[in-house]
Amino acid sequence: MKLDVFNPTFGFDELHRGEEHSIVPEEEMYSAKLLAPRLSNNNNPPKDLVKFSHGTTTLSFIFSEGIVAAVDSRASMGQYIGSGSVKKVIEINKYLLGTMAGGAADCTFWERYLGMRCRIFELKNKERISVAAASKILCNTVYQYKGMGLSMGTMIMGWDKKGPHIYYVDSEGTRLKGSKFSVGSGSTHALGVLDQGYKWNMSVEEACELGRRSIYHATHRDAFSGGYINVYYIGPDGWKFISHEDSGFDKHYQYVAEKAAEVQAQQMSIS
Amino acid sequence: MWNASVVAVPATESIQRPDFMPYQNNGGTVVAIGGEDYCIVSATTRLGLGFAIPTRNVCRYSILNNRVVLATAGMFADTVTLHKVIKARVKIYEEQQDKPFELRSAAQLLSNTLYYRRFFPYYTFNVLGGLDEDGQGFVYGFDAIGSGEKVKVVCNGTGQALIQPILDNQVERKQQYENKQITNLSLEEALDLVKDVFTSAGERDIYTGDAVDICIITKQRGVFVETFQLKQD
Amino acid sequence: MSQFDGAGGGFQFDLLERNEKLKEKGYRVPVARKTGTTIVGLVFREGVVLGADTRATSDTTVFDKNCEKIHYIAPNIYCCGAGTAADTENTTALVSSQLQLHRLNSGRESRVTTALTLLKRMLFRYQGYVSAALVLGGVDFYGPHLYTVYPHGSTDRLPFVTMGSGSLAAMSVFESKYKDDMSREEAEKLVYEAISAGIYNDLGSGGNVDLCVITRGQTEYLRGYAKENERKFRKPQGYSFPIGTTSILSSTFEKSFVPTPLVSDPESSSTMAVD
Repeated sequence: MKLDVFNPTFGFDELHRGEEHSIVPEEEMYSAKLLAPRLSNNNNPPKDLVKFSHGTTTLSFIFSEGIVAAVDSRASMGQYIGSGSVKKVIEINKYLLGTMAGGAADCTFWERYLGMRCRIFELKNKERISVAAASKILCNTVYQYKGMGLSMGTMIMGWDKKGPHIYYVDSEGTRLKGSKFSVGSGSTHALGVLDQGYKWNMSVEEACELGRRSIYHATHRDAFSGGYINVYYIGPDGWKFISHEDSGFDKHYQYVAEKAAEVQAQQMSIS
Repeated sequence: MWNASVVAVPATESIQRPDFMPYQNNGGTVVAIGGEDYCIVSATTRLGLGFAIPTRNVCRYSILNNRVVLATAGMFADTVTLHKVIKARVKIYEEQQDKPFELRSAAQLLSNTLYYRRFFPYYTFNVLGGLDEDGQGFVYGFDAIGSGEKVKVVCNGTGQALIQPILDNQVERKQQYENKQITNLSLEEALDLVKDVFTSAGERDIYTGDAVDICIITKQRGVFVETFQLKQD
Repeated sequence: MSQFDGAGGGFQFDLLERNEKLKEKGYRVPVARKTGTTIVGLVFREGVVLGADTRATSDTTVFDKNCEKIHYIAPNIYCCGAGTAADTENTTALVSSQLQLHRLNSGRESRVTTALTLLKRMLFRYQGYVSAALVLGGVDFYGPHLYTVYPHGSTDRLPFVTMGSGSLAAMSVFESKYKDDMSREEAEKLVYEAISAGIYNDLGSGGNVDLCVITRGQTEYLRGYAKENERKFRKPQGYSFPIGTTSILSSTFEKSFVPTPLVSDPESSSTMAVD
């Protein structure tokens, strides 16, 4: 066909049509599918030429009152901090949130697309989409592009008819249901804190503080995470933005001061 | 015949000519600052190619309307194509809808346009600046595939690592922990800052030089462009 | 051979194998700083003029805006260097010291051809791995001499030469304006023009023009012959930070080092000797 100017023997039959609802013009994505493996095959270009955003800590968990999602805000491009103020929680609609890890453009674009699909579902079916269905739309969409270099690790969460749900979806095609996830380069640090502090019965404040503290510890140890900590809470009435705080300077010295006060109190009680 | 020049690759991967190199780096630096009632979008005019300077006077910005300006660093051929596409889309919109294209719409359009080429990207690093619906100056910075963010100040291109830290420090008071009052630079202060950071980058980045086009966007005057000379070496 | 065993002199190659392995596995090997450069030389009626720009780059970043690329070889011989900065500096220094010893032994002025032979022998021995591209010029018993030395050890003897990434720009100036038997003033001006062509048209070259004019019995090193690329603009109000902008988190005091006096105090030594 017309786009193949490099290798006349390439099998076009292997390529299948893009998804029916794809908002990406068909022709554009055809060229994308043809060119992607060729370009990524080469050792230097364009991988080295075009650096995308990477490096993250995101987490979310279900507890008695609902869901808490906490994220950092750093976007790094190799050694360079591309931005320190990225919004890594994506507001899909009033009841659905998605988090962002991996390629920033991949996450924002496909989760915006998911927002559109969810709205179409509502208009067709006269009811809100379930978290399970929403996450599956995203999963199926990115699965079509598997092996072509999309990079996305996200948690789709929300409150539907059956209560609070979290689904982990990534660009490899994985889709998992669970009650506690952390994604990104700082996730191991965050889970360490989250697991030891987690209880089913917590107040919303306690849960938010646990999320915040987990992200703080991850940003402290992981060079690719940092910036601000954003916290969201999802209850039966949809999501609510809770807080936006500096994870570096302010939070660090706040926790240092708290720890010092704690140690002092212990010493007092001993003596 | 072309088989001779094909590299051997595992059967699962596709075959590619080893000398297919669709990108070139023409350098360039773009800076944008959003103020209370103004916005500055600026771009260098040197077009570099390897160690050569094919021309010292290229235009890296496009005035989309009297309140939105787009500036792009990276590969110049892609810059021209991208600007052509965006300008056409803005024009069609304004003709059909009979209302100005808003800054945030331009940002979303640019993001989508870049993402449509996710697997063969435009090798461009964009900043978009202008006045929003409330008349406040804001800017957007994008990576090559359309991830962008609304901010107060941004730099993209070859001088990014030299300039962005200074802008963060001067405009957003980053790293000035005990001096956090919000600065609100006046237009004159912001212009001096832009000229200063470009002069500094010109000292140390070989792709930044010759001149810089500075677009000043205000509600009263629309877009006003001035050119500031840099070193030629 | 251990890396501490330097008794044999010369280069050590113990890390070569490791570096090749690392390269194979896709690790980045540290790169040497190369000076994108314009260097030239020109013979005129009474001697030679050498010229160089002053920019040292590392990839696309300018590392040094005013570096010295004209190296001393002998009082009557100088040498411009392009290529890897460390190689040009050390190669010229090595030859310079060999010539100094030769002068002390022989009591005669060094000859340019001696320097040339020492340089090309060394560079050929290392098969181009010592990446030094040189312009060697001087005036000796036999008159003015000008040579280029390539990294692999080949040499040219010509009335006007250019080297480095800006060599094409500079050569175009020479080709259009060179004449035999130029005066000193003409020669200086032409070399300045050639270097300027490199500074303005080659991104690897920039900064100031350095010249070195060597005539019989006299050498003039004109550092900063032209300075056309000084910074043009500074923010009028500058940058200032109120005291306390960076908070002090903690402070410690350490006793500073006080060297013990070399002359021993007779009283203190007597008290020490008692026990």
